[in-house]
Amino acid sequence: MSKEMINVEAERPMATDTDKSKTINSGNAVFTKTEGGFIGMELDGKKYDRVKVIRLFPFTDPDKYMSVRDVMDGDKEIGIIEDIKELPEETVKILLEQQELYYFTPVITKVISIKDEYGYAYFDVETDKGRCKFTINMGADAVSKLSDTRLLITDVDGNRFEIANVLDFTVKEQRKLDLFL
Amino acid sequence: MKLKYNLSEDRIRQLKMERDEKLYYAIPYDIGENGRWIDDGMCVVTSENVAAFEGDRLVEKLPIKMCCRTRAEAAVGAGMLVTEYGALENKDEKTSEQRDAAHTVTEKLIVRYSAKHRTRFAYIARGINILSGGRTEEVVSKEYESVCEICGRIIPGTKECPYCNKKGGFWHDFLGMLAPYKKSVGGIVCLMIMAAVVTLLNPEIQKHLVDDVLTKTNGDIKKALWCIAGMFMLGGGIVVINVLKSYYCTVLGARIAADKRDTLFKVIQGLPLTYINDRRPGELMNRVVNDTRVIKDFMSNTFCNLFTVSFIFVWDVIFMVMLNPKLALFSFISVPLAVWGTLTFRESIHRRFHLQGKKDDDISSNLQDVLSGIRVVKTYGKEQKERQRFNRFADEYCRVAFRNERFWAIFNPTLRFIMGFGIFLVVLLGGMDVLNERMSAGELLQFVTYTTLLYQYLEWMTGMPRDLTRLVASMERINDVLIQEPFIGEEEKPDRHEIKGDIEFRHATFGYKSYQPVLEDINLKVKQGEMIGIVGPSGAGKSTLINLLMRLYEIDDGEIFVDDIPIRNIESRHYHEQLGVVLQETFLFTGTILSNIRFAKPDATYEEVINAAKLANAHDFISAMPDGYNTYVGEKGSTLSGGERQRIAIARAILKNPRMLILDEATSSLDTESEFLIQQALERLIKGKTTFAIAHRLSTLKNADRLLVIDGHRIAEIGSHEELMEKRGIYYGLVKAQMG
Repeated sequence: MSKEMINVEAERPMATDTDKSKTINSGNAVFTKTEGGFIGMELDGKKYDRVKVIRLFPFTDPDKYMSVRDVMDGDKEIGIIEDIKELPEETVKILLEQQELYYFTPVITKVISIKDEYGYAYFDVETDKGRCKFTINMGADAVSKLSDTRLLITDVDGNRFEIANVLDFTVKEQRKLDLFL
Repeated sequence: MKLKYNLSEDRIRQLKMERDEKLYYAIPYDIGENGRWIDDGMCVVTSENVAAFEGDRLVEKLPIKMCCRTRAEAAVGAGMLVTEYGALENKDEKTSEQRDAAHTVTEKLIVRYSAKHRTRFAYIARGINILSGGRTEEVVSKEYESVCEICGRIIPGTKECPYCNKKGGFWHDFLGMLAPYKKSVGGIVCLMIMAAVVTLLNPEIQKHLVDDVLTKTNGDIKKALWCIAGMFMLGGGIVVINVLKSYYCTVLGARIAADKRDTLFKVIQGLPLTYINDRRPGELMNRVVNDTRVIKDFMSNTFCNLFTVSFIFVWDVIFMVMLNPKLALFSFISVPLAVWGTLTFRESIHRRFHLQGKKDDDISSNLQDVLSGIRVVKTYGKEQKERQRFNRFADEYCRVAFRNERFWAIFNPTLRFIMGFGIFLVVLLGGMDVLNERMSAGELLQFVTYTTLLYQYLEWMTGMPRDLTRLVASMERINDVLIQEPFIGEEEKPDRHEIKGDIEFRHATFGYKSYQPVLEDINLKVKQGEMIGIVGPSGAGKSTLINLLMRLYEIDDGEIFVDDIPIRNIESRHYHEQLGVVLQETFLFTGTILSNIRFAKPDATYEEVINAAKLANAHDFISAMPDGYNTYVGEKGSTLSGGERQRIAIARAILKNPRMLILDEATSSLDTESEFLIQQALERLIKGKTTFAIAHRLSTLKNADRLLVIDGHRIAEIGSHEELMEKRGIYYGLVKAQMG
């Protein structure tokens, strides 16, 4: 899980300015959707062609503390949105749309079957993004617990699947999942 | 890895390809425009266009000339193919300032895909860039597919799926493996058949004993003794045969495994480093150690009984049918039930004990965590909390273990009872037949014994497929190594070039994973004798640059030249022989200091060794040791300090008299005294040789002719210390930071 995060965020350890991050809010920034399907931003009169908005607490608080980064300048941080809800509705919509694009973590809603064979488990599940099949390596740490009932499953390719609450599943489904809890 | 999937007629029609338009790539993607999974997405690249289909619907079609810089961008749990879309007047001018000024390009999302297709799209992005740049080469991927297209199983790191690959087939491979051991295999097969015959003969004699002696009123004691003697001999015979059989099978298994291990080791040593580095560390070790053990185990456990059991099984059934067809039918009735029972029970047991194992792992890793961090736990006063955590894991394990043992205790006897149920039926019906004089008592006894045998081996037979698949997978993994060609990535007739020291990187691009470049478009010219210092944040690609230079990996794009010869045209062994490498972590082999210094040049004289040690400032401390140059070092040898090990490594490099030097943090984490000694030794070593040195401590690079700052996968700054200080860029910042 954490490996993926590091890859994606490509933090720049060389950044020498450790000033307090700039706060981005409805007062100083305007977000617009670009032609190519991404978002641009104008902050205090400065235009950014494409920015990336990253969740700093993707599991515990996905809609708070988002880091806005300039894609055209090596993903350098421009500032932080403290709470998305304080932004105008239209902006929230654009931002959430962008998050959907950037974070792809289907939530499993139904377990159809799990078959384990020679160290791999083959899942067939229904998710909020549609039905899908995936495979996990049972030897590796494919399942991490975000809490006692919330799971994050990483498949052999690095796709991530979430189980929001194990207790929401039927007893039969839970028994299938038992091996991974 | 497949980059050109089949396209349906309909899709081709919709592409409306021009006459000289050529289809380059077609690969699937699986996230639709609405952000949901789709299973019929296809991204197509032709010489003119980049297009995307969702089902039969063309959702995107972009002229490739407008896709200026395309890349496979990583997102969390997915990825996107993004291009800088628009017309650039001069395609060579692609700096961000110029793009901003022109404002004719926008970042455009082409398709989204899950991590499953990430690697493929990295290749496609490269392919698109080549085509949009006006070139026509086709990108080919040498990577293996990770999922079998036919059965959907994960392929265990081999080229073909071991379950579906029927080329030659398992028996072909298996018999091929046994071929060199014809004699012992023949002997074992004979023993197996003898064991089967003896096992099947015993009930026949028992029948005679019952029918001809026991149930007769005037039983002949002589005949009885003959029967008992026969039974005794068969009983003794089977023991002897089984012992011999097991012995020979174990010996054969061990020999095959040892021979395989030998060949594997030989082949692995000759393998290209790219092949070794493509695999997870330990994977090749697994193939040498574990996969050969699987073969050994199979030979001594399964193969040993293979023919015996199959033979007994077949004849058992035939005898039963011959003796009493009706009774045979009845005893077969519960066979499917028994098979089903065994399989379900085994699966359930497997799951349960796997779970138990997992809980056990949880306890161990928790314990490991706490014990290795005990100082932190204590200083933060968190003992109580950690104890509770541990208790929770322990309770959980206890609960699972208890449940499993109960399950085992209840179901195992129950299953055995069910499996023995056929016997009851046989005794009941057979007994009635005996009473009605349709069958003799001896025949019934014989029949019952056969039935017992049948069920006894049934369990073994149901386990066969699992053992076989395991063997197939192991053999596949071993053969995958054995069929590798040594030294790919080297030209047909490599040059035995004596390095002078002119190095050039031309558009060098490389990533350990194809979808994640570590170095992009590196251009650098180094003159003979120059010392280049490499600085930059960790993870920026400093060590990677050096790895490429050491030819541990093949670069993905671009070219590296040594004295104007492409590096791949130089014979790699000869090239490596001319490199001197001193790394941060000095690896000393188990052996003496002498053998360690001589590693690169085993025939060096004592004089040469001493000279090298003197130049490396190592002679004095070596002399001070009681065993001098014969001091045993390595895993179980005397412990040397980091600085001492480092100086031995330098002596090793000096002795080799390399033409080019590579120093990777050779002086970090040493105290000032030994740093000075090593610095001095290095200066002697470097003199007049092209040198690449990575260092965090910038003071160690004060002799460097030029400094190379790597940041963000590229060369950020290059120049002498003075030039870079004047520039007030990244290097300036680093120097300031280190001066405090």
